[in-house]
Amino acid sequence: MPAIISVRGLVKRYGDHAVVDGLDLEVQQGEVFAFLGKNGAGKTTTTEILEGYRTRDGGDVSVLGEDPANAGAAWRAKLGIVLQESRPLGALTVNETLRLFAAYFPNPHTVDEVIQLVGLEEQANQRAGRLSGGQARRLDVGIALIGRPELVFLDEPTTGFDPEARRQFWDVISGLRDLGTTVFLTTHYMDEAQVLADRVAVLRDGKIAALGTPAKLQALRGDVEIRFSLPPGVELAALPALSTQPRLTGGEVRVETTAPTADLAVLCSWAEARGLELPALTVERPTLEDVFLAISGETA
Amino acid sequence: MNMLVEQVRADLLAFSRRPETLFFTVFLPVIFLVLFEAIFGGQSVTLAGGDVVAQSYLQVPAFMVMGVISASFVALSITVVNRRETGIFKRVRGTPAPAWLLIAGQVVTSLVIALLMVIVMLALGSFAYGVRVDIGHLPWLVAGVLVGAIAFSCLGMMLAALTPSTEAAPPLANVVVLPLYFISGVFVPIESLPTWLGNIAALLPVAPFVKIVTWAYVPATTTPWRPLGLLIAWGAIGLIIASWRFRWTPRRS
Repeated sequence: MPAIISVRGLVKRYGDHAVVDGLDLEVQQGEVFAFLGKNGAGKTTTTEILEGYRTRDGGDVSVLGEDPANAGAAWRAKLGIVLQESRPLGALTVNETLRLFAAYFPNPHTVDEVIQLVGLEEQANQRAGRLSGGQARRLDVGIALIGRPELVFLDEPTTGFDPEARRQFWDVISGLRDLGTTVFLTTHYMDEAQVLADRVAVLRDGKIAALGTPAKLQALRGDVEIRFSLPPGVELAALPALSTQPRLTGGEVRVETTAPTADLAVLCSWAEARGLELPALTVERPTLEDVFLAISGETA
Repeated sequence: MNMLVEQVRADLLAFSRRPETLFFTVFLPVIFLVLFEAIFGGQSVTLAGGDVVAQSYLQVPAFMVMGVISASFVALSITVVNRRETGIFKRVRGTPAPAWLLIAGQVVTSLVIALLMVIVMLALGSFAYGVRVDIGHLPWLVAGVLVGAIAFSCLGMMLAALTPSTEAAPPLANVVVLPLYFISGVFVPIESLPTWLGNIAALLPVAPFVKIVTWAYVPATTTPWRPLGLLIAWGAIGLIIASWRFRWTPRRS
């Protein structure tokens, strides 16, 4: 199956600084692809090159079989775009807004279909300027869906949402997947990628730093952390030898290990032999958030 | 075609729901005419050629011009800057809609509002102040208003292209038009200006527009070909600068 989006060696410079620096990626038909990175990593620049808004300085880009730099109206008719910053025209109602955008496309959904898809039935006759942040963003997505797109771009769609609004928004995106629409989503929320995405790419300094399913990414940092407080009267040096050197931070012992079972067995039998309890003993796998922070170059 | 109808429909709806633009564009010229008529309506003016006419014959066309300029220049530039800076233009450029549609939507919308202003002023002049257009000159009124509205739409697009932000749009538009109204025969009869000032004003776009529309009410001996040519020239200048500096995306990005 041909890739919906295919990027090879993409470069974009502003002055001397390469914001996107040799980026490769492929997005397959029907998948929800999450593009993660901290602010300034090059997410929006890359996305806007794929959408045809910006020019590039190097590399090959193909989106729905065409080069976005010189694709025309027929190509744009197959896209749905939600920009990072955009507000619908506040003076028009939800209905009127969708009706206008439907007129731009050759084979649009009906307004009612889209209103149902994004869950704005109760707000259909409300002016866009009076919608809540989450509702306005859903209208934004509705505008992107009206033309029956094969590919939808969502650039940080849930920034600034409260948890309830985010969950409602996620339902809308899951609905898109069921329609078979390919979704290219940028976000800096790890949980969003985990819930929605089939595959995740983490961007760092304009390159892909990690790529895979959320589960595969999570497995990238294989180490597990054993934590406990030092029992009263015991020094760090008195602990038995483990596979790695334990660290002491604020009275808490941390052991980052790739052999948690063996290390735990040694620790527990050592403590049991001395009649000691290891207070607040926990064993934790790193969350996807920790993995993301480690890969994207932020400090946890 | 359906696309253009939908675009104009939506733009007109949006226009009619913004109280501030509605007030400044539609009501203000009407309020001005009513006030000026109440104050100066009984007076007479001696024209350059020596004819004496009631001042109403100059005021009705003058505020008709103000209404057309409000719709085509002031409201247009403010709306275009607003659509650009809020990302609405950028958004539509990501759909198959052609670029001309957005411009045409704005221009046709301002033409419709300008036409509405002309009808209101015609009716008000005729029924309230007894000032009628000379039937033989009606084609001049239609042509003059059409050329003027299109020329000022081009100048409005130029101003929008040069305006940096949403906040700057209303003051900039008014800073441009208010002094022009004073020196071009809208607020003050052009006959009472110092000659040098009248000579400068005659070259700027408002005075020729006033002259053409006034001519439809007060036929003078010379046909206003020169003002018509000037108006078209100003429109062309506006169009050239607008297409040179115009952008679809917000300034800050």
